[in-house]
Amino acid sequence: MGNNLEEIREKRKEWEERVLKPSLERFAFKESPTKFYTPADIPDFDFLDKVGFPGRYPFTAGTYATYPYIPAPRRGVQVAPGLRRASTYSGYGTPEDCRDYYKEMQKRGQRSGPNLALDLPTQCGYDSDNPVVRGEAGKTGVAIDTLRDFEVLFEPFQGEMDLDRIATNITINAPANILMAMYFALAEKRGISLDKLVATPQNDILKEFIARGTYIFPPRPSMRMMRDSIVFFTKYCPRINITSIGGYHMREAGATREQDLGWSMAILEAYLQEGVNAGLEVDSFVPRFSVNAFGGDMEFFQEIAFQRAARRMWAKIIKEKFGAKNERSMLLRQSLMYAHMGYYNCAKQRPLNNLTRSVVGGMASALCGGPPACYPPYDEALGLGWSLEASQLSEDASRILQYEAKLTAVSDPLAGSYYVEHLTDEIEEAGWKELEKVESMGGIVAAIENGYVQRELAKGAYERQKKLGSGELLRVGVNCFVGESEIEVEINRSVPYPYDPKRREEAEEKQIRNLKEVKGKRDNGAVARLLGELKEKAKKEDENLIPHFIECAKAYVTEEEMCDVLREVFGEYQGGTF
Amino acid sequence: MNEKRKIRVLMAKPGLDGHDQGAKVLTLGLRDEGMETIYTGIRQSPEKIVQAAIQEDVDVLGLSCLSGAHKYLFPKIVELLREKGVEDVLLIGGGIIPPEDIPFLKEKGISEIFGPGTAISEIADYIRKSVARKWGAE
Repeated sequence: MGNNLEEIREKRKEWEERVLKPSLERFAFKESPTKFYTPADIPDFDFLDKVGFPGRYPFTAGTYATYPYIPAPRRGVQVAPGLRRASTYSGYGTPEDCRDYYKEMQKRGQRSGPNLALDLPTQCGYDSDNPVVRGEAGKTGVAIDTLRDFEVLFEPFQGEMDLDRIATNITINAPANILMAMYFALAEKRGISLDKLVATPQNDILKEFIARGTYIFPPRPSMRMMRDSIVFFTKYCPRINITSIGGYHMREAGATREQDLGWSMAILEAYLQEGVNAGLEVDSFVPRFSVNAFGGDMEFFQEIAFQRAARRMWAKIIKEKFGAKNERSMLLRQSLMYAHMGYYNCAKQRPLNNLTRSVVGGMASALCGGPPACYPPYDEALGLGWSLEASQLSEDASRILQYEAKLTAVSDPLAGSYYVEHLTDEIEEAGWKELEKVESMGGIVAAIENGYVQRELAKGAYERQKKLGSGELLRVGVNCFVGESEIEVEINRSVPYPYDPKRREEAEEKQIRNLKEVKGKRDNGAVARLLGELKEKAKKEDENLIPHFIECAKAYVTEEEMCDVLREVFGEYQGGTF
Repeated sequence: MNEKRKIRVLMAKPGLDGHDQGAKVLTLGLRDEGMETIYTGIRQSPEKIVQAAIQEDVDVLGLSCLSGAHKYLFPKIVELLREKGVEDVLLIGGGIIPPEDIPFLKEKGISEIFGPGTAISEIADYIRKSVARKWGAE
């Protein structure tokens, strides 16, 4: 770089003595509140090795050669014409309620496929009529019990928006293969072959044991279900993303930055190994691994460095540890969310401040190689579902960053910054260290089984809360700047929300009736036979259960009926302590 | 009443919601505030929670729900407690509870709702004051 590092180190000492020190004395500081970085902080920096070009190994500068978001101001998600994307995460009530919501959104211009939020009974493998789940049906998302429900829900998605023309996302983990089987059965009924489907089930079961909690079966049989997804989707549905791995759930629940990184990579390794053990070439299936989101915090530069480190680490693991040859296999393909503020940082107090926070996250996202997405809308902490006003401002904030501030004009603009490169190296190193720790226990499944991750997570969450209590961690309007001289800022919502609260309240009763009707009309002899066969197949470790799930779905076997058979064979995860 | 007895708290997660950071943090935090705390773990039915509250003879039952099912689950737990003749347990709630639901929950017997951003010390003070009042009345 032209400068001798020794000379820089010497000059630095001189600067500290002659310039910095008097300044600290003048302001009565014990230590400097600001730092300064020089080339001496990245002595081994090698551009091609550490950064490279966007879309080329090691992908530090970006996943793609260019930004896939089109700079043409129009409504909706601004993506390139060659891209099929699902819409915003949404869903509530009965399939009828949700269908009507989608019809309404289509009237307002939505042209993309659904990004389905499911209720908790569906996510945990229970039908709406099970007394154990009373009060939950249709709350966090739409209730799905049988194929009938998908038939109703997808009514607005026909013709120009049929299943072979949209992308569908489903946030489903433990019973992902069952829900996907229902989707496949629906496609078959519409005469659409599976290879034309574009979809992303979340299908990241391991993080459910660590955070979020929608597990059903113990970790090992859950991994068998994962193997089935990898093998079946690779063979029959080459355009379906096998999994959407998420680190941010763990971060929200208390993981530190390095744990988020290390554990996410350990999860990636565990899924990769399942595919390899099933006899697949790494390059045949890894390109269909996607990532939901990593990270999430208000620390701006740390989160930018984190994303760059994550891309580099991901690529190295796939190339160096698993021997992938195709560069496409090494891409960390993330959805809309890259760096972001961390949903857990949303405050209920003076909630409009969350908009400011989300803009900080959106800027970090744009500067780390992602879209300038300002998530979440500011009313995240106020209740389930965002108001249309909050969503509008969130979308506008992203547009302002893109069109007015032009933050997306250059890929990885912080590449080469002494500070950011130093930080990227530091975070990557900490991530490797945590990964090695987990590997030394036998991998992430073993680290879940022995309770290490759960204990660390609870500890991390409590540490974070203690720091908020002591003021070591500051949240404006929450634990500081709350005195009498501050004023409250009220928010008003005037646009009615497209979810109908009355319908949400009545959804459970209605869905129980829907299910009763299905059970009355279907061939119950066939259902009993199929469930008997499922039990036998489930007992055979090598059997891929997805083809049979599709048969069950077509006969209107319910989700819980299938899950109950599997519970009998696989057992149930009892939940970890901490 | 023995004033030195530690306040006993059961932190519970009714329903299927798996977001239990708050419940775990309070379990640890209230312990450090000098209380005896027990955590049920996630996915507990109202019946199991009530049974645990009675068995453990707790002074306080903390309910956490972020799934929107609080309007059914919280009153159901109060109802089951009353059926068993339990009247003296202090009930507090937290999670993602829309402000408009709070009067309903209070009317059903939940003493206070603590939302995101509440300091542990604030909850601990509330518990100590409320329990002291109950003990004083005995």
